[in-house]
Amino acid sequence: MSRTPTEVAEAVADVFRGVFDQLAAWREPIESLLDAGPDLRAAALDGAVAELVLPRLEEPEPMLVGAGFIADGEVVRGRGVHFAWWLGPLADNPVLGSTDEPTRLDLSTRGYAEYLRDFRALEWYRIPATTRHAHVTGPYVDHLCTCDYILTLTMPVHARDGERMVGVVGADVAVRRLEGALLRDFLDVEAPLALVNEQGRVVLSTDPALQVGRLAGSGSAEVACPGTPFTVRVDPVASGSSPKI
Amino acid sequence: MGPGAREAVFAQLADAGRAEQVAQRLTDGIVLGVLDPGERLPSEPELARRFGVALITVREGLGILRVAGLVETRRGREGGSFVVRDDVEHRGILTARLRGLAQVELSDMAVYFGAILAGAAERAAERASAEDAANLAGWLSGADFSTAAAARTNQGGFLLELAVLSQSARLVREQIRLQAEFGPLLLLGLAAESARVEVADLDRRIVRAVARGRGARAREAAGELVELLARRLLAAKNRVERGGALDEPHAD
Repeated sequence: MSRTPTEVAEAVADVFRGVFDQLAAWREPIESLLDAGPDLRAAALDGAVAELVLPRLEEPEPMLVGAGFIADGEVVRGRGVHFAWWLGPLADNPVLGSTDEPTRLDLSTRGYAEYLRDFRALEWYRIPATTRHAHVTGPYVDHLCTCDYILTLTMPVHARDGERMVGVVGADVAVRRLEGALLRDFLDVEAPLALVNEQGRVVLSTDPALQVGRLAGSGSAEVACPGTPFTVRVDPVASGSSPKI
Repeated sequence: MGPGAREAVFAQLADAGRAEQVAQRLTDGIVLGVLDPGERLPSEPELARRFGVALITVREGLGILRVAGLVETRRGREGGSFVVRDDVEHRGILTARLRGLAQVELSDMAVYFGAILAGAAERAAERASAEDAANLAGWLSGADFSTAAAARTNQGGFLLELAVLSQSARLVREQIRLQAEFGPLLLLGLAAESARVEVADLDRRIVRAVARGRGARAREAAGELVELLARRLLAAKNRVERGGALDEPHAD
């Protein structure tokens, strides 16, 4: 028992800083490519994005389970919203089958595309478009890509004029992978801790009574994880918003 | 057809009689409208990967469908296997499917579907934030239930969105799988306007329970929803067994 909640919050911040740095590193060449010509072909964009993201998806025990660039309709000629998005290997996924190498997200194989009329209305696109800042969506069950419990990190990509957002570069982090990276640090604190998002939704908890996915109430103290929307709550209680009668 | 229905059509198969399973899965997808008339099926290697079977098994399965007149295979660059356009034929197959399933099988499917949905609804009520509930309510109020086809698509969408709020990946996956396997039969009853009105009412009741964090009420409304649909399905079974039509006489 050798850590403080503040140190744990720093460890969380480190993990997210790592992913955001990666997104920023991908964004730069994508912005250059978009600047280079108005007649960008989808194949050229896809090839460039694949080259950037695939190495991270092919790592052993990858933190990122999906990554890519989602372009607004105007960027790629003659298309709607364009997904240059890859999924890491899927381990025996009961819905999508199993794959042992990264696969391109193919929305034509996702039936719910029918009722999701505009992807730009979804949180991971809408918020960066509104705030012009990077955003973390979730934790949530993502039924579009992996059918897994994930966090989606997205960062706006701008046109050369710096005004218009032309898409988002992003990555999906599986909650189970994040837990793998952080659980030991959390258990190194004597008091029960929960990592929660802005809504109080639990991402990771060392209190067995407060499980992942639930809404946590307030704790005896809380420490913000710098540069992220997450906080570490000390002695959290289950939320009072769910009276079960 | 509901969200996720397509992926479940192509999800991995169990061991026995795999070519027949390939054929049955695709037949269901076609006659129940998950796969559209004229649509090109994924390539044979892609189907083999998705089903987790050998290429030869996929070819055998597609052969069964060709003989049944459900797909046609075209050669060449724009070639592949295509879903045949024949709605009358599809209704016939759907009727045969309803005859092929015993009452006890149909009601057992409804019991299982209802158990999963009720569990998801209860968890959603326990776990949804105010914002989640408001989003679901907003989505539902904009959803079109005016025709049977729109109602089936959007009811499937609603049930999946509800499962997503449970925060359980397993419940979402099972909901997707069940909707593909059984949803189309269960949603058959939405041909009748009276059923669409009742179902939309129950959907709103579920949303209210979710918004108020009332797990037991959400569970109860989900149970009533599935019970209503199961009764319509069993009534359709009785009709076809008596030699009548799939849809109710006064269905619109």
